[in-house]
Amino acid sequence: MTLSPDQTILFDLWGLSLNATVFFTWIVMLVLTLGSILVTRNLRPDVPPNRWRTTLEVIVQGIESQIKEIAGRSDRPLLYYAGTLFLFVAVSNLLLVIPGFQPPTASLSTTTALALSVLIAVPLFGITSRGLGGYLKTYLQPSFIMLPFNIISEFSRGVSLAVRLYGNIMSGAVIATILLGVAPFFFPVIMDVLGLLTGMIQAYIFAILATVYISSATKTAPAPSPASPTEKETS
Amino acid sequence: MSIDWITVAAQIANFLVLIWLLKRFLYRPILDGIDAREAEIKARMQEAAEAEAVAKTTEASYRAQIEAMHAAQSDVSERLRQEAEAERDTLLAEAHARMDQERKSWQAHLTEEGQKYSIKLHRAGAGALLSLTRKALMDLADDTLEGRMAHHLIAQIKPMISDIERASGPATEAVFTSHAALPEAAQTALGAEFQAAFPNVTLAFLTDPDQAPGLVLRMGGAQVAWTVDSYLDGLDAVMQDHLSTGADLKAHPNEA
Repeated sequence: MTLSPDQTILFDLWGLSLNATVFFTWIVMLVLTLGSILVTRNLRPDVPPNRWRTTLEVIVQGIESQIKEIAGRSDRPLLYYAGTLFLFVAVSNLLLVIPGFQPPTASLSTTTALALSVLIAVPLFGITSRGLGGYLKTYLQPSFIMLPFNIISEFSRGVSLAVRLYGNIMSGAVIATILLGVAPFFFPVIMDVLGLLTGMIQAYIFAILATVYISSATKTAPAPSPASPTEKETS
Repeated sequence: MSIDWITVAAQIANFLVLIWLLKRFLYRPILDGIDAREAEIKARMQEAAEAEAVAKTTEASYRAQIEAMHAAQSDVSERLRQEAEAERDTLLAEAHARMDQERKSWQAHLTEEGQKYSIKLHRAGAGALLSLTRKALMDLADDTLEGRMAHHLIAQIKPMISDIERASGPATEAVFTSHAALPEAAQTALGAEFQAAFPNVTLAFLTDPDQAPGLVLRMGGAQVAWTVDSYLDGLDAVMQDHLSTGADLKAHPNEA
């Protein structure tokens, strides 16, 4: 029994081995990208939105409203980042119901990569918002004594994010695998349903926590007005 | 449980690529579509607001026109009322003037009728008086009225001869006029008496129906007369007195 899809090597080409984590990540990326292209290919203002476009608008606007509630303002770059986090984790976990699919989020490498990306995104957003000096000063808040604690807190956030997502998804997959061996007809179905539920919750929690961390790093006092050009990316 | 750092790096790269892909094919089209739709809705709301403003302006214009029409209607009503009042006053004034004219005309007619009646009564009274006097003289003194009038006039002339001669001047003709022709005997007696007083004057007798009963002598500029006018005036006074008494009795019957 393999606990991580990293250990599943699908094929080896010129010394580069492609494991299941990367492969199924590409599947998820393909599903998301093709779905988006199919829905938004004929998107014109004069064409009334169909059910798929409406679904995507509801999802995107829901993410945007969550970010607005947390950050207190609309932030397009944060929407791109946190929205992609949510959609990637959610679709990875939803595809769990497809037989043979191994969710990339069940790999500690994937959750570590996502946590590392959050760990990098927080200072990037903070420096973009406050400037380098302004962001570094936050590590000395409320006093310079807090500098080591703030650094530890910053890294522990990434570790907790990675372990929380990995633990939940991997444990669900492992329990489902074990129960498949014990009672192959009934319990796996329940576990898959629970896996879907916990997967969606974990996606939501992961994206929300990333948003909270980034918005706390970018929050300045007083908060800029919603019409500020820095809040909305010009397309 | 282990971390494959190559996979970590690949997943970070995959994630960054996914961010770019979703930004390119999901977020921008969807958000741009939402923005375009919101802009279209905003434009439509703006158009609706402008249309509403135009409608309100038009409504205000129509309301002003209606108020102006109401005001004009009030002015027209007031003007018509004033014209009607003026017309009524004019008609009333004309009616009053016509009534006054008719009252005056009626009054003049009444006065004329009264005068005619008075003249008629005067004549009737004179005729009756003369007839009664003539009959009384005939019955009581076996004499005629005209003879007595001639005798009375001669009696008046005799003490006035010098005055008549002075007033008449160099007159050679004299005329006795009477209401009715004098009897032959009266003419003879009167002529004899007149020639005795005025021997150089030629005498003539004429009748004048318009003259009051009696005798009138005209000689040059002198005139001597005796008529029943004074008697008739007295009779008229008595009759008028009785008539007015009768009118008072009619007006106040309870006082009788």
